[in-house]
Amino acid sequence: MISFIASLPSTTAALDAERTRLEVIAQNIANANTTHGLNGRPYHRQQVGFEAVLQRAQAEDGRGQSLAVPRAGRPQEDLRPGRAIYQPGHPDADENGMVELPNVNIYEEMADMIVASRTYEANVAVFKNSRSLAMQALSIGKG
Amino acid sequence: MINALFNQPGYLGAKRMLDATMVRHDAIATNIANAETPHYQRVDLAPSFRAELQSAIAGRDTNRLNSLRPQIAKDARALPVNRDGNTVNLERELVELSQNTLEGTIQSRIVTASLAKLRMAITGKS
Repeated sequence: MISFIASLPSTTAALDAERTRLEVIAQNIANANTTHGLNGRPYHRQQVGFEAVLQRAQAEDGRGQSLAVPRAGRPQEDLRPGRAIYQPGHPDADENGMVELPNVNIYEEMADMIVASRTYEANVAVFKNSRSLAMQALSIGKG
Repeated sequence: MINALFNQPGYLGAKRMLDATMVRHDAIATNIANAETPHYQRVDLAPSFRAELQSAIAGRDTNRLNSLRPQIAKDARALPVNRDGNTVNLERELVELSQNTLEGTIQSRIVTASLAKLRMAITGKS
């Protein structure tokens, strides 16, 4: 296959990775008050790390440097303990009447969400620029 | 030879500049894609390319213009912008991206204009 724009796989991968991150953030915010998660424990915040994979075909391209493609890693559980409140009537309260809340900090999630959506937008801008460069290249010699 | 028609230094220089713009676009796009990747080092056009192209155009050296190939290299001067060692500054990259696309527009117009001149010489029509 001809790679018309060599950086397109990187841009696509970045959009994909940012979307994954946004989905995990959405899940964290949605479960900010879940005291009884799937394993019976309070919900724990999930986080996604990014890693770079080098694009293999690029190395032989004579361009000197292969292009890095980002990838979202598997969501990892944040192990910080959650806040505990005293609420004896709660169905998940322990013998002392304490309920452990999820360790989701809504401000942290909102800040992460803004970073993720800005990066997503930046990659959309890159895609539009790639497209316009390619269209210009196609119209060389016309007119 | 027909090749001589396409061997004028101005036309070749514009062509090489357009090549460099496309390669630079790939470099900037990769930087923006990896803006959130820990330890990522930003890449750019190798700094020697600009000087080599300038001297080749100034010397009207068509052989060197034909053999010049833009290369991508790690930008050693870039400083980390946050604690994870990533050297991509998103705002700066976006500005460079728009600037690079504009440069590409200008260069493709120059190439088109050179070809139009040739066509005019061949057909006598503009």
